Amino acid sequence: MALDTTNEKPAKARGAKKPAASKPAAKSAGAALPLKPLSDTLRSVLAGNLQARVASEIVTGDMAEVAELLNQVLERFSDAEHRKHVAAQEIDQALDGLIALVREGDLSRWNTTTEDPQLAPLLEGFGKVIETLRTFVREINEAALRLSSSANQVLAASTQHETSSTEQAAAIHETTATMEELKHASAQIAENAGAVARVAEETLGAARAGRGAIAEFIQAMQQIRSDGIAVADSIAKLSKRVERIGTVVEVIDEIADRSDLLALNAALEGSRAGEAGKGFSIVAAEMRRLAENVLDSTKEIKSLITEIREATANAGSAADASKIATESGEKLGAVAAQAVEGILAGVQETSDAARVINLATQQQRTATEQVVASMAEIEDVTRQTTQASKQATGASAELSQLAGRLAELIKRFKAD
Amino acid sequence: MPSENVLEVFRSGLLTPLPRAPSFLLGVTGHRGEVLPVVDLLRFLAKGEARIMPRTRIFVGVSGTYVAGVVADTVLGLRRILVSDILPPPVGADAATEHMLGVVAGPTAEETINLLNFSKLLQTARQRAVTR
Repeated sequence: MALDTTNEKPAKARGAKKPAASKPAAKSAGAALPLKPLSDTLRSVLAGNLQARVASEIVTGDMAEVAELLNQVLERFSDAEHRKHVAAQEIDQALDGLIALVREGDLSRWNTTTEDPQLAPLLEGFGKVIETLRTFVREINEAALRLSSSANQVLAASTQHETSSTEQAAAIHETTATMEELKHASAQIAENAGAVARVAEETLGAARAGRGAIAEFIQAMQQIRSDGIAVADSIAKLSKRVERIGTVVEVIDEIADRSDLLALNAALEGSRAGEAGKGFSIVAAEMRRLAENVLDSTKEIKSLITEIREATANAGSAADASKIATESGEKLGAVAAQAVEGILAGVQETSDAARVINLATQQQRTATEQVVASMAEIEDVTRQTTQASKQATGASAELSQLAGRLAELIKRFKAD
Repeated sequence: MPSENVLEVFRSGLLTPLPRAPSFLLGVTGHRGEVLPVVDLLRFLAKGEARIMPRTRIFVGVSGTYVAGVVADTVLGLRRILVSDILPPPVGADAATEHMLGVVAGPTAEETINLLNFSKLLQTARQRAVTR
């Protein structure tokens, strides 16, 4: 097709020239009859054989001169035709290069030279433009490749950043959860410490009550001891009184015994006096019976006194035992009081420690809450960062894609 | 003891033992300004020995001109006994029997009263004391 189009121009040009060329032929044919070699040669030229010439041997005279001239004309025509053909070929070549450039972006196939002085500046200009384009394409290609690799690196970095950011977000989330748990745990500790403090407070109260009770117990023991001493005194006094009663009874006994003897002797005197002393004897016997009654009574009193003595001795030993018991009770009470003092001190310390723990855990809870809040902020920021890095990754992916596409596009232009 | 042989009864005071005296002669004591020998009947009759306590009774026995104190375990009192109630002492008994006037039967065997022949008793005592 390209050849067809290119051939049209030379055909026209030929048509335009043909009358000029055929004019001498028609002039020569009208001059002489034996023009057959000339017309044959012209026909042969017209048929396409541009090398056809009039043979000089077959013509003579004027005809030879005409033939010589015709041959010269034909030579010139042939040269012009040849030049025209070469130019057309060069133009075809240039057109081919341009077509390749336009169709396939192939800049490499431009390699056209000409000797045609008319075509040369044009082709030179084309050549310069194409050289510039080639340089452009080369540079653009290089830049696109660089851009692509840079975009890929950016994409990789962005992807890594996104991954690490996601990991960081997960870690922060975990940390936040842990801090939350820690907060709960510290709240629990605070609660427990509060319970311990309460229990310690109750124990303190109980121990104080115990101390008071022990003090009362010791007081009661002292009271019992003093009472016991009073009882022992009373028993001693009673014993003395009983002794005194004993001596008195002894005196009465003595008197009764003497009375008995006296009455007996009186009865003897009475019996010696015979009938006259009979009444006296009876009175004396009666006296003696009274004395014996008194003696019996005193004997009974003596046995009673003995019993009382034994009873008081028992009471005295019991009072002594009670005294010893109360003393040991007092000592035990003192020991118990000391123990309760120790308990009080310990419980006080426990209470203080629990209060301190409570306070510390409350502070810890506040601090943990602050940390949790900070962690939430950090998490928020990290989320934003992740989002941003995702966007950056997307953008860089797009960029990478675009760079690849650009490189692809640029590849269509072959520079070399 | 028959009451005619008893002067009076008193409580034993301090007895002063006599050297080389028979064992039944416990000693002498002062009574109403006189020196009175004291005899232990239980030892004399070989029936044990008397225990002298602050309240031990000593009666003053009289037989003619002889006066002696006799240690008594207890003095129960004076009793009137009819002569018809006195039975002869049991025959062929120990040494105590020969110094008895008789026996008065009581309601029970334990309340049987032995009547001592104080004159004979004193006589035997004197004889024993002298024979030594």
